[in-house]
Amino acid sequence: MKFILNRLIYLLFVLFIAISGIFFLINKMPGDPAYGLAVSISQQRNMDINKALEIAHQMMGIDTGEPLFIRYVKFLNQFIRGNIGYSTYYQTTVNEIVAKSLPWTLLVVFISILISFIIGVYLGAFSAQKRGRAVDISISFVSSIIQAIPPFVLAVLILFVGAIKLRIIPLGGAYPVDMEPSLSMDFIISVIKHAIGPIVAISIPQIAVWTLAMRGNTPQIMEEDYIRFAMIRGVKDSTIARKYIRNNAILPLVASLAIAFGYMLGGNTLVESIFNYPGIGFYFGKAIALRDYGLLTGLFSLIVVGVIIATFLAEIIYSLIDPRVKVK
Amino acid sequence: MSELRINLTKGISLFKYNKKAFIGFIIILFYVLMAIFGRYIVPLSLESNFSERYLAPSLKHPFGTDYFGIDIFAQIVNGARTVIGLSMTSSFFAVLIGTILGILRGYLTGKIGQLVDAIISIFLVIPSFPALLIMAAIFADSNLNMVQISLIVALWLWAPLAKQVSAQVMSIKSKEFIEASKMLNMPLYYIVFKDIFPLVAPYILVNFAMQLKGAMEFTIGLMFLGLAKFDSTHWGIMLNYALYQAGALYTPRAFHYPFFIILNIILLIYGGIIFAQGLEETFNPKLRGHE
Repeated sequence: MKFILNRLIYLLFVLFIAISGIFFLINKMPGDPAYGLAVSISQQRNMDINKALEIAHQMMGIDTGEPLFIRYVKFLNQFIRGNIGYSTYYQTTVNEIVAKSLPWTLLVVFISILISFIIGVYLGAFSAQKRGRAVDISISFVSSIIQAIPPFVLAVLILFVGAIKLRIIPLGGAYPVDMEPSLSMDFIISVIKHAIGPIVAISIPQIAVWTLAMRGNTPQIMEEDYIRFAMIRGVKDSTIARKYIRNNAILPLVASLAIAFGYMLGGNTLVESIFNYPGIGFYFGKAIALRDYGLLTGLFSLIVVGVIIATFLAEIIYSLIDPRVKVK
Repeated sequence: MSELRINLTKGISLFKYNKKAFIGFIIILFYVLMAIFGRYIVPLSLESNFSERYLAPSLKHPFGTDYFGIDIFAQIVNGARTVIGLSMTSSFFAVLIGTILGILRGYLTGKIGQLVDAIISIFLVIPSFPALLIMAAIFADSNLNMVQISLIVALWLWAPLAKQVSAQVMSIKSKEFIEASKMLNMPLYYIVFKDIFPLVAPYILVNFAMQLKGAMEFTIGLMFLGLAKFDSTHWGIMLNYALYQAGALYTPRAFHYPFFIILNIILLIYGGIIFAQGLEETFNPKLRGHE
């Protein structure tokens, strides 16, 4: 219990540092973070830029007369209350953007991780079993080539082949614009069709990672005393392979699974942008391109929170699997 | 010192018995040579020639032509310079920061050691690519040069290396010969540079090769998003053009354009990966019998 509490306090500290870091980084920059919004207001309403700047400051809740530190305290206060910022470009709260984009990211990340983990673990275990044979060598070879493909590069390839050459997947979006979200079969099918590009682009490199990790884990476990003991006891080879080796080799991967999940929340910026898939990463990319610092701060904080929750879960899982961790 | 010499001779004879390292080295060498001499052998002409738009690969244009009728092969060759330059400098800085902080963390005890440890842990947890994008966006309008961009990239690459190096140093520092140096009152720099550094040196070399993958992914990603621009033939920028320039998305016959860029990106990263794997297999203390 003490271990868990310690880690929790530590991770909250990291969260605090990360959020403070991004706040000061953005606010100490040359230029006014509200300037972009002011320009668009002055164009829309045909008014003086200084007056627009004033409105922009009000909208973003920035009082330029205030010292930086007071603004920082206000920002933290809002953050703790769950209000993670205001998007100058979309002119709405970041919470609202998160509410409509997070489900799409979760859908893609969840399916990708599930598919890649299952396939990767099976391929890795199979490869380790046939170590040194042609199957194993070709699995390792293909995996290490696939590892060399950055997901967003794969995304470009899939988009070109799938959407432009073969025209079997759509060019963008999470579902057709003229369709109302509902639980009908048509809608679900079109959601799957739109998600397939990002899912494949994320899954394929992940499969290679899990395959190689599983294959690398297995021989270490084969050296363990309990395997030797099981052999001496005369347990069947196939039972040892399945129950003793595979299950124990999966355990350390389960914790990595939690971490992978956390990092994927923010790691798909490029893939989602390429497929125009309206998830967290897509809006993150938009915020970068539009220099929408409110949205940027909010989404980055959300991503850090996700990673920290995932890391925390992973550490708990580790400590459950391997009690030695606690002692350290 | 003798340890370092043994490592160097191992390094030279390494190619004899590690095929992976050899092939990886050849691939990287190929692109490095392309980066250095390529532009003299394959001159780049950026003049548009619309009658040759989106030509398929041929003898005259080995990788075909782009929207403006410019030879893609020439662009790839000329772009190698910034691709290799950026990723090598980023890896170099990442290894430099990671090694220094890793050795500090591993060797120092007390408050400073804890501080360094805290810094490493924070950088380990913060998701690096989003953080990199934010920094790049902030500095994007101030026309950074190659070294500055590399430093920003390296800032988000070094942490895992620092952690591994510190673990290595911690296991080395309790060895007898370090104790002996301490008893002989050798100065700290002697212990760090003559006793510890040669032992972690192969490790650092392996990591330099491993960092190349991350550095290439990061820099190509940055360029692809248009967050750092100083060379229109950088492969990341080319990939951006291949996708978004002049309705390329609606031009099925332009497929060769992204295809050849992607092929080169993957081949280069693959070279880095197997070079690193080969080195690791050769230098891994477990396989070598370090004690």
